[in-house]
Amino acid sequence: MRAPERLWGLRVVSTPDALDHAFYEGDVVVLRIASDEVLAIGAVHAELTDPHAIVEPESTFIGWDLTLQEFEQVVARHVEWPLPTGRPALAQGLIAGIPLKLWFEHDRVLLISSNGLVHEVVDRLGVPA
Amino acid sequence: MRFVLDDRAVDYVDGDSVAVAVVRAGQHPQHGGTLCLTGDCGNCSADVDGVPFTRTCLTPARPGLRVHRHPAVGAPPLQLDPPVNPVASPAQHEVQVRRIHVDVAVIGAGTSGTRAADEARSAGREVLVLDGLLGDDVVGVYPGPLVVVRRAAHMLHVHAHEVVIATGAAELHPVCDGNMLRGILTAGAADRLRSRGVDLGTVATVDLVDLDRFDGVEGRVAAVVRRDGSSEPCDTAVVTAASRAPRDLLARMVDDPHVRTVGPASERYELPPVPTDGFICPCSKITVEDVQGVWDKGFQHIELVKRAALCGTGTCQGGVCMPHLRAFVTDRSGAPTAPFTGRPASRQLTIAEAAADVHLDPFRRTALHGEHVALGARMDRFGGWWRPWNYGDFMREYWAVREGVSLGDVSTLGKLIVSGPDVVEALERLYPTTIADIRPGRSRYVLLLNERGHLIDDGMVCRESDDRFVLTFTSGGAALAEAWVRDWVETWGLDVRIMDRTVSLGAINVTGPLAGDLLRRLGVEEPPKFLQHRHTTVAGVDCHMMRLSFTGEASFELHHPIAHSVQLWRALMHAGRDMNITPHGLQALFALRLEKGHVIVGMDTELDSTPRRIGMDWAVKMDKPDFVGRTSLARVAELPDRRRLFGFTMDGPAPVEGAPIYVGDTIVGHVASSFTSPAAGKAVMLGWQKHTPFADTVTIDGRTATVAQPPFYDPEGARARA
Repeated sequence: MRAPERLWGLRVVSTPDALDHAFYEGDVVVLRIASDEVLAIGAVHAELTDPHAIVEPESTFIGWDLTLQEFEQVVARHVEWPLPTGRPALAQGLIAGIPLKLWFEHDRVLLISSNGLVHEVVDRLGVPA
Repeated sequence: MRFVLDDRAVDYVDGDSVAVAVVRAGQHPQHGGTLCLTGDCGNCSADVDGVPFTRTCLTPARPGLRVHRHPAVGAPPLQLDPPVNPVASPAQHEVQVRRIHVDVAVIGAGTSGTRAADEARSAGREVLVLDGLLGDDVVGVYPGPLVVVRRAAHMLHVHAHEVVIATGAAELHPVCDGNMLRGILTAGAADRLRSRGVDLGTVATVDLVDLDRFDGVEGRVAAVVRRDGSSEPCDTAVVTAASRAPRDLLARMVDDPHVRTVGPASERYELPPVPTDGFICPCSKITVEDVQGVWDKGFQHIELVKRAALCGTGTCQGGVCMPHLRAFVTDRSGAPTAPFTGRPASRQLTIAEAAADVHLDPFRRTALHGEHVALGARMDRFGGWWRPWNYGDFMREYWAVREGVSLGDVSTLGKLIVSGPDVVEALERLYPTTIADIRPGRSRYVLLLNERGHLIDDGMVCRESDDRFVLTFTSGGAALAEAWVRDWVETWGLDVRIMDRTVSLGAINVTGPLAGDLLRRLGVEEPPKFLQHRHTTVAGVDCHMMRLSFTGEASFELHHPIAHSVQLWRALMHAGRDMNITPHGLQALFALRLEKGHVIVGMDTELDSTPRRIGMDWAVKMDKPDFVGRTSLARVAELPDRRRLFGFTMDGPAPVEGAPIYVGDTIVGHVASSFTSPAAGKAVMLGWQKHTPFADTVTIDGRTATVAQPPFYDPEGARARA
């Protein structure tokens, strides 16, 4: 299992419509973490039509890039809620009592924690620090 | 084939349960009481292989099993081998949880359960059937619905769209004089024992409605006495009953439209005769006389009787006593009585089983956690975070702030960015102070009130532009404050964007008379003046620098991306080496702010603290047209105030926080915060007086203390503004 990496990018809060039509420069994974909020991993610049949008650099999130097998072995048994079946898909909720995000791609799963809870993720799930 | 009962070997026949084998050996799994052998009561429970309260009727006998009967009086001894580590990581628990998501979970594999499962399958739904005979002990049904099941190897959490409870009905147990003798069976138990070839000796069969009492000799039933006065000698008494008791405990645990009960478990049965004598709750050893006693004391509701007498709180959770208790309460109250509420767990669990995959709330670490630990900090939990309490010598830290320069990790503060065309309107409504007149680049201290005018948090409002602000909140109140702001903005329908930056930004407070000098060394040519803020670069790190003061000295909070926290911290520590820079922990911070009379929400305040009660009316502008809490404050302003937070001073060492405050012999309040202040040369305190008229002189810790108006240090605030 690979060591975690810091997920650099942008966090954007804006109107849902403006987020639907936002453009992000770079090789970006866009996670719609709320109707009015996006975590754009890898983004360095965002273009939005909303003049009041809040666009801030984000560096708090840490990600473990897991194979599907690693996810099943380490994480899945701690998930109380139904996992999404479509791909790609974002899921968020408590896992082993920790608020975490999951980004499902076809053959990988990105387990995402805020920086301050990494030690709990390591302790409770047994993933590498 | 043998197992061990207490210290004696017991022979058993292949297929016997432990309880059947014990009865076959002429013993009782406990010291007496009716046996049903269906798991409905607790009368056969014993310690099996170190697990107490195990139902032996559901435990297959096997070689080498060690069964210990519980004491006749009192609880079985607590098993502490291996020692329990209550703070061990849940990941270390031996019992794991497996989870399954299904359309329908059917609890009970009897006639009605099988029918319900077949119907669901016919409708194309995925069905899971759970039954004790299949090894599934359902211990609880929760909203969701969620069914928690104990299995031999693990716990199972079943998330179902629908739960069908088809647990059937149980035989009634007798409640009368002598009902805790050995040798009493329900009719079903007698049948089971006979089918296993157990010799019951001379049997007397009696219907429940005809039963008066059991007579016994040396703890074993010797005769059945009927209500007509007739007596029938016997070795074994078998009790029959036309009525039954629905096994509806699981159904009574949850009020969820997706949980339904079918079959006998859902039926209403005729109640048994009103009990007049004997043990009504064998599990908790509660007699009818006990129940009458609590009834006579005024606990005249079935829920109250349960709590006062503990009837129904034992192993079987009312499985035996419920119909009899309902008959009792119905008789005494004259009104039909519904069953009491059911609560998990319906089956006894080990601590490991109960704790399986149960997690404590996680406590966050700041990005500087490792720096603190490396500096020898004693870390402790405050407001949802691990924070340094001190670095070994909190007075050294105190003096570093007062006389030199110090760093404090305030990354834990709540931080919101708010923006939008309606943002000023939203903040004017949220806060009791004026917002519109804050100029960009300036900030203001604010209180956050609820609708009752009670203080729920405090912090700073920093204006960045006409339509963008940064709000800060206390560490412990950040989550509530964020939800509070979002809820009100949504309620008012205002056009405001909100971004929570609490976990994204670190914050370091550079404080002390040399703080400005330290920042200049790191490239900040002109640090902001008091209550100003601006974006700048410090040691190559982009920072939002806020000039304020909680310590009473010049203070600069450097908010920055947490990825650069360590870099910034080390640069500040390095640059301040010749200034004898020393980080400070919470212990010093609490003392420093107390000298300034700054309150800490939740520590000095109470749930109903208004600004007036804590002496902070100055932070409320009642001439504003509206803000959350204004109506309540206007109303209570006309009323006399019966409690207030005061500053106190007294000679000698500070009393402990929480110490009672006396006027004469009367306790009028307590000390909320205290510190033996070197600056003031005496003990300084914040404390509550809750009796009027408020006294100017009180007694604390046996010494005289005097009301004194804070701040106790630098009352003009010159040092903070320097």
